[in-house]
Amino acid sequence: MPHHSRRDFLKYTATASAAAALGGGVPAFAQDAEPSMVIARWSGAPVPEEEVAAMAIKLTTEAIAALGGMARFVKKGDAVWVKPNIGWDKKPEFAANTNPDVVGTLVKLCYDAGAKKVKVGDLTCNSPKATYANSGIEAAARAAGAEVVLVDKDRFREVTLGGKRLEKWAVYPDIVESDLVINVPVVKHHVISKITACMKNYMGVIGGNRSAWHQDIPNCLCDITAYMKPKLSVLDAIRILTANGPTGGNLQDVKRTDTVAAGTDIVALDAFGAELLGHKSADLEFLVEADRRGLGKMEYRLLSPKELSVA
Amino acid sequence: MTPSTGARITRWARRMVQASCLALFVWLFLAAAFKLSGLSDAALGSFFYSDPLIALGTWASSRAVGGLLLFACATIVATLALGRVFCGWICPLGTIHAAASVWRRAKPMVLARTESWSKRQRVKYYLLAAFMGMALFGGHWFGLFDPLSLLYRTLTASLGPGVQHAIKAGTTAVFQADPHVGPVRLAAVTEPIYRFSRDRVFGEGQQSYEGGFFILALFAAIVLLNLFRKRFWCRYICPLGALLGLLAKRPLLQRICAKDRCTNCALCRLDCQGGAIPDRATQWMPSECFMCMNCGAACDAQAIRFAFASPFKPQPGPKLDLGKRAMLTAGAAGVAGMIGMRLPPLARGDLFHPALIRPPGALAEPAFLARCIQCGLCMKVCPTNGLQPTLFEAGLEGLWTPRLAPKIGECEYECNRCGQACPTHAIEPLPLEKKKEVRIGLAAFDVSRCLPYAYGRECLVCEEHCPTPKKAIYFIEVDVPLRGGGTRRLKQPRVDTDLCIGCGACERKCVFVDVAAIRVTSANETRHPKNQPMLAGSQELLPPWNSPQDASGGASLSDPYANPY
Repeated sequence: MPHHSRRDFLKYTATASAAAALGGGVPAFAQDAEPSMVIARWSGAPVPEEEVAAMAIKLTTEAIAALGGMARFVKKGDAVWVKPNIGWDKKPEFAANTNPDVVGTLVKLCYDAGAKKVKVGDLTCNSPKATYANSGIEAAARAAGAEVVLVDKDRFREVTLGGKRLEKWAVYPDIVESDLVINVPVVKHHVISKITACMKNYMGVIGGNRSAWHQDIPNCLCDITAYMKPKLSVLDAIRILTANGPTGGNLQDVKRTDTVAAGTDIVALDAFGAELLGHKSADLEFLVEADRRGLGKMEYRLLSPKELSVA
Repeated sequence: MTPSTGARITRWARRMVQASCLALFVWLFLAAAFKLSGLSDAALGSFFYSDPLIALGTWASSRAVGGLLLFACATIVATLALGRVFCGWICPLGTIHAAASVWRRAKPMVLARTESWSKRQRVKYYLLAAFMGMALFGGHWFGLFDPLSLLYRTLTASLGPGVQHAIKAGTTAVFQADPHVGPVRLAAVTEPIYRFSRDRVFGEGQQSYEGGFFILALFAAIVLLNLFRKRFWCRYICPLGALLGLLAKRPLLQRICAKDRCTNCALCRLDCQGGAIPDRATQWMPSECFMCMNCGAACDAQAIRFAFASPFKPQPGPKLDLGKRAMLTAGAAGVAGMIGMRLPPLARGDLFHPALIRPPGALAEPAFLARCIQCGLCMKVCPTNGLQPTLFEAGLEGLWTPRLAPKIGECEYECNRCGQACPTHAIEPLPLEKKKEVRIGLAAFDVSRCLPYAYGRECLVCEEHCPTPKKAIYFIEVDVPLRGGGTRRLKQPRVDTDLCIGCGACERKCVFVDVAAIRVTSANETRHPKNQPMLAGSQELLPPWNSPQDASGGASLSDPYANPY
């Protein structure tokens, strides 16, 4: 299980770093081995609910390994912020928040890659204490050694976004000052943006009157995405919420797709998420705008994502 | 001669017990914000459960008493045996008054007169009689004057938020300005203080309460009264003190003054907290004595001791002499006051204040008022700060009872803390799944403000935050004409009256932060069949306790006291 893949991953990291050290710069094979997007799908026997945790760990580990390993993104001594969606006071099976084991695994991989400090936190919509606890993310992140931070409404600071719609907005300093922010949302239905995944997950980084963004979701999401300069996003599509999102609460709206995607192109990942929910990326205004601005590719297949079958 | 060492040790022991009880009271208050730490609700409300005034008053007004309130029997037994030890040793508000009594300074000759028994101390008994008169007719006003309720409410609505605000405002200013002293960021010093306050003491978000200033003013006033008499409140006003005084007329533990030693020097009276010693020091009014035992520690002649003696032997000294006629008059005055408070139209029972959104599980209004002791525990445990003390929404009778103010904080879908915490079951302790089906109000759009209706902009934040599993807010796509000609297709939200539970998440999150464009009123609340304008759309949406198949426990139009859950 995780042991097997972690050994592989360490071996790979060692080889890659040795090659990099010898060759000076990035060797050609490493470029081949470092795709910009990986889709890890479960292909084993159907996994019962109580064993989803083990599957989540495996899918995440393999997806990151195939992407080139966490060492591709985390340098020794880095401060990393893992940013899940911890919006709603709901248990993991309702798919309203990111799968806790996906989050925990990412924390662990960051530490393995030499991160000095990994923090986990999100601005919740329901009361933070209950939401952190019931999402399961607090426990999973702590178990992996992360510092779980309460994103405090009173600790946002206004910065210049220099966006098309937003000149200035309040952001959470601790997040944007991290060396690396790993954006790890769950895929959910949303009436205004149609889906909420990676780009919309950045709404947990901002403060102020967030409700106002609904008046222009495409430009607001593109403005914050451009500001955040995403390096690594991980899409939790183990359970996806197909209706009554983003809050959920009805298990009939939850669909198991047993997939974790990871990559450097946030737009491509969102386009993939949109497809899981039955949308064409061209129908999503915020993806069209993001593509137009060059934030990523909404035709994610152009990136030839590496497809993994994990069992 | 000097006072006996034993008496002085007893006095110090009493002070330690008082300080511990006050500390415990405050700690339980702070712990209420951190229910996740696992402290039981019974523990959070333990002081209330030991209060015989709450037990008796709740029984008188609602003819029922919660099981845990039977713990008040322990206080009753203790008072019968030991006198008003609750007042002198336990009561946290009494401790605050005892401490503030050091302000009472005057010449010894003045104190010897003013700090001795005064007939005006009987006022508290007449107040108690008035409150009990009210209670027999379903009014529960003594909650306003019960010392534990009063102190808890003051901590919740003013003292706690005040301390929190001081810490928060100070550290936030430092954080935002981020000044450096040499190489040191000042915030590195202040932020740990702030985080401790937030994570261990007060919780996240500034707690703030409407009319908290008035609650503080009442508290400040009764503390300042200690300038005029030691423990003025306890001697003259406190209805719990009066109730315990009635029980303490003939205690087993008695003050015994040796006549052959007493020089009537009045030193004991100078230090007496309760005004329990009449003009002659050998006399004693057990109903007024807090068993503080200051007199023993003050007596140079070592004439005073406390010992168990037969309660049937009459005490030397004047009788309390309340008078049946005076007590009945006070009781009747209470009833008259009660009737007066029920004269406004809203008390008629067929009109409903739109802003009086009671927490989920709240009994129908008359039964709710018969039980709510205005302690503020529900407001303290509410995670969103949405539960606020009423001013006049519930009439004078319902002053400082809880109501949901959705723009301040919504009723969280996955939370049933208020009902679990309520010490008198004015709010039923509904299981979470049942609480989720309780309607506390109904949301309505103000289409003159709502963006997709009035301003041609996309929004639907209300729909996003609507927490019911099938959203109670849906939308209809409409081509809205624009100023320069042409149209824009917008999603206009609507409320599904069958699904809306009135939690107010929509109002809270509405982009307008002055007056929301979707607002909740008390309409359709489960607890009041007469306040339900909507015919339910489909039978399966009816909660089981309200459905035609299962009428047991359902509220009926004819009985406004029936339990609607």
